[in-house]
Amino acid sequence: MTSSLTDLRRDVEDFLYREAKMLDEQRYDEWLGLFTEDVRYWMPITETREVRQHRDHVPGEWSLMEEDARFLAKRMERLAGGLAHSEQPRSRTRRFISNVLVTPGPNGDLVVECNFIVFQSRRANSEQFFVGSRRDRIVTSGESWKIAERTVLLDHRVLPRAISIFF
Amino acid sequence: MTSISERPVDVAAAGLHDLVKPDEGAVSRTVFVDEAIYRTELDRVFTKTWLFIGHESQLSEPGDYLTNFMGEDPVIATRGADGAIRVMLNSCAHRGMAVCSTDAGTSKFFRCPYHGWTYSNNGDLIGVPRADTVYNGELDKSRLGLKAVPRVETYKGFVFANWDENAIPLVDYLGADQLWYLDLAFEAPLGGLEVIGPTMKFRIKANWKLAAENFAGDDYHVLYTHGSAFQIGFLPDYDMLADYIAHFDHGHGMGDISKPGRAYQNDVGMAQFLGPEAIEYVTAVHERLQARVSPLQAEMHGLGEGNIFPNLSWIKFGVFHVFGLFQWHPKGPGEIEVWQTALFDRGAPQSVKDFARTQMSQENAAAGIFGQDDGENFEQITESARGVVSQTRDFNYAMGLGHEGEVHEEGYPGHLGPHYSEQNHRNFYRYWLELMTTPGEQK
Repeated sequence: MTSSLTDLRRDVEDFLYREAKMLDEQRYDEWLGLFTEDVRYWMPITETREVRQHRDHVPGEWSLMEEDARFLAKRMERLAGGLAHSEQPRSRTRRFISNVLVTPGPNGDLVVECNFIVFQSRRANSEQFFVGSRRDRIVTSGESWKIAERTVLLDHRVLPRAISIFF
Repeated sequence: MTSISERPVDVAAAGLHDLVKPDEGAVSRTVFVDEAIYRTELDRVFTKTWLFIGHESQLSEPGDYLTNFMGEDPVIATRGADGAIRVMLNSCAHRGMAVCSTDAGTSKFFRCPYHGWTYSNNGDLIGVPRADTVYNGELDKSRLGLKAVPRVETYKGFVFANWDENAIPLVDYLGADQLWYLDLAFEAPLGGLEVIGPTMKFRIKANWKLAAENFAGDDYHVLYTHGSAFQIGFLPDYDMLADYIAHFDHGHGMGDISKPGRAYQNDVGMAQFLGPEAIEYVTAVHERLQARVSPLQAEMHGLGEGNIFPNLSWIKFGVFHVFGLFQWHPKGPGEIEVWQTALFDRGAPQSVKDFARTQMSQENAAAGIFGQDDGENFEQITESARGVVSQTRDFNYAMGLGHEGEVHEEGYPGHLGPHYSEQNHRNFYRYWLELMTTPGEQK
């Protein structure tokens, strides 16, 4: 690996760690600012199928989340409104990001893949881990980096709980 | 001082009639947490009622299969070479291993991973390794097929199964009154309904009845539980959406029923926001309804949500809403595995499909803003019901008691009630009690 790619990966990791920290600290307005205005945020449903009948996730099928910037902002507005019972009081979360791979794309875009573990602790004893991988397309313009596409693949077939947090 | 021993918590000492008193609007918390009652439910509710298995669009070709649960019993549904849909226990007749471990797919046979017993997709045992030697050629394969669910029936593409050989036909169980409404969802699609993606699955640590009774017509909770949705403008004023609830024979209930014309007006308003394709679509669907259902049904145009007893809930507002199914699979008295299936009109324009699909995942789904808040309620209710003092305080389902039957809308079938009433909950528990106090024959 060339040193410039090493530097790039370090910068990307830094970006992802800062993002994770924003979510763990519930700095949602800042988090929204990391996405482009035309972001596509997609979390398909994981299936269990025979080895030879594997099917890739198909865009246009019903998904766990399929959002644009407008609805992501609506979700934040909801959390701030005091009536979002599933996050009232807030869950404690801790995000671990690893296995970061960066592939430079056209126009200065970066395709960034990573794995994650998110621990969620709710109320007294509702605790769960969410585990999965993410693939982002990050558009770069000088110092400004924005996520233009995010695909979140949770490894769970049966989610341990309804999703009230972000990945 | 209030006595805390108003009610015995000892289930053996207290008959179900003491615990569940629908006509008084009182249900003991015990029935939401007690293990013995739960075991009885699996036997007397889940083997006696018609349970949803899948939609024909998921089994379109011979060889297609899917897996599901009936109560806690795992089943496989297949479409055989003869085109028939069969439902069978997903458990090897030899030593019980699941013969299918996937969600869905295509296969002519199922082979048990344990000893290799092989079943055709109609459930017949067709292969036993070394049968001639290890069983001395004496194994009667004809008696060792996968246990078949004796009754499998379909209503307008929706496949249901029933362990009770003597069950009334599916169409009678659903009932003409309930179907008068549900037919709007089945008849409106221009190109028929199709399942639009995998089944969404998640757990709620709650008793299954809390979710089922909620969808049966707890419109009252929408105002506060889902207050955030109104706050952010996701929904218009709730009183603009609907007027009534209704319940039917066999415990079924339905909420958010609107007066004639209201749902169509709402859809037309929505179409104007969505654009020209949507306007064309709502017009086409409305014309189709006028041609296929009664004038009053067509005027009613849209639905709300409901629960098909025991554990199949659904939601379907106007034409821009996915037909969403929720199976509240019981996993012990304190846990639900939610299986959500989304269906939509195969013939809708792509822009309408895109809107409906994303709206549903944002609304009543695992990460939807409605779904997550409902789950929070059900979990904490179940948690509180475990306390012995808590169990002396019945849940209160008294809303509208003494005022049932006061609401009329000409031509609307079923037992109609006002938008906010617990009459449908009482109806749910009345049928539940009837089943629970009817001993079943030996299976």
